[in-house]
Amino acid sequence: MEKRVLSMGNTGIEVNLPTILRDCVGGNTQVTIEAGTLDEALQRLCTTYPLLRIHLYDETAQLRPHVLIFYNEESTRWLERLDIPLQPGDRLEILQAVSGG
Amino acid sequence: MTTAGKTDKVSVLVGTTKGAFFFHSDAGRRNWELTGPHLDGWEIYSLLGQSGNTNGHSGSGSNGHDRIFAGTSHFVYGPTIRVSEDMGETWTQVEASPRYGEESGFKLNRIWQIVPGHRTQPGTLYAGVDEAGLFASHNDGTTWEEVTGLSRHHTRSEWGPGNGGLCLHTILVDPTNAQRMWIGISAVGVFRTDDGGLTWKVCNNGLPQGPTGVRNQEVGRCVHKIVLDPADANTLYCQFHGGVFKSTDAADSWQPIETGLPGNFGFPMGVTANGDLFVIPLESDMQRHVKDGRLLVYRSRDGGESWAPAGRGLPEQPQYVGVLRDALAVDSLNPAGIYFGTSMGEVFYSPDAGENWDRLPGQFPRITMIKAWVRDGEESA
Repeated sequence: MEKRVLSMGNTGIEVNLPTILRDCVGGNTQVTIEAGTLDEALQRLCTTYPLLRIHLYDETAQLRPHVLIFYNEESTRWLERLDIPLQPGDRLEILQAVSGG
Repeated sequence: MTTAGKTDKVSVLVGTTKGAFFFHSDAGRRNWELTGPHLDGWEIYSLLGQSGNTNGHSGSGSNGHDRIFAGTSHFVYGPTIRVSEDMGETWTQVEASPRYGEESGFKLNRIWQIVPGHRTQPGTLYAGVDEAGLFASHNDGTTWEEVTGLSRHHTRSEWGPGNGGLCLHTILVDPTNAQRMWIGISAVGVFRTDDGGLTWKVCNNGLPQGPTGVRNQEVGRCVHKIVLDPADANTLYCQFHGGVFKSTDAADSWQPIETGLPGNFGFPMGVTANGDLFVIPLESDMQRHVKDGRLLVYRSRDGGESWAPAGRGLPEQPQYVGVLRDALAVDSLNPAGIYFGTSMGEVFYSPDAGENWDRLPGQFPRITMIKAWVRDGEESA
């Protein structure tokens, strides 16, 4: 799988995306974002790939109800703060919440 | 109306809850090639084929390429418009797709309709969305802006959804007057602008207000589909939640036209270039399947004065299916092709204005909409 690395400073964090969103990032399902904190990484993900902002966040900048973003093993919704310094090996995973019938 | 020529190519664009499927044929419309699924996994509530080689008419864009616009949405990931310039092989998302501002308080859930603007305004497109609103593009769909004259209408706080959501599902551009348009919103009603979208008049006179729970007497009308008579821009027809109606005064008033129909509940409506009308009556809003399990298309050839089942060839066996509001289309050839898709994913068509019917091959997801596109002639709704 092709990886795109963006040199924007600090630590690189690997971001995995569902295949249905790969056309938002040039056809890949994995990109790397360089950032200092988790918050910066999330912001840079959407400024680098603006189509992702449409699909992940609603008009009020809230995460869409059935979108999950996992920072390593934790959903970002569980975190009290997002200004967490990134460490080598950190991962972000964008998932569709289980919402079937 | 375009007389079928040897070079005409007809494409039937089928949107479903899980992707799009395209059928292609020549003007004879007997042999069809299927492509798809396109945009697999995305709900498709609107498709528009634009011919690039026919300058100036309502179906053409301004950049010289055949293009297909798709209004895509997903219950997790939301809506955007996508564009293909290679008949669906590849798609590009429009980054500046319709989107409400945070201050509006509205959410954009689906893109229900994409139509070209007036023929004197090449490059102009309109999109109707859920939550109900109208967006306009004046650069071939690259960027879109909200038509705030409608969103800020004085009745807006009283708009409420139907079963399909609070959707702006119909946009009709007056071919004789670039400043005049009609739109339909469920369950709100019909609106008309005479100044290019700056102001909008409620046009619900004669349409009954059902039990929508809305206090405002101006709105609360569950209009399902409106079509414009190609020969007379003052004549419109409406398939309503409980009734079929006609207006001869540009929607200032409506009168029922139901003689011969087995019931007055239904969703889609179509009109051919020579004025033939088509509806598909359903059992009441309790059942929402075809009457008595008989899949029949009703046709009027006298401007709605009378209706009768059209033609032969539709299934004889029980068909307890529905047909959604945008899942019937006519093409612009002569004789007109008629196409409709069912809630069970079947596509039926008639190449001769409803005289004979056949089924196109394939079983698809629930069909949300169909558009017919004559690629070397005129595009039609």
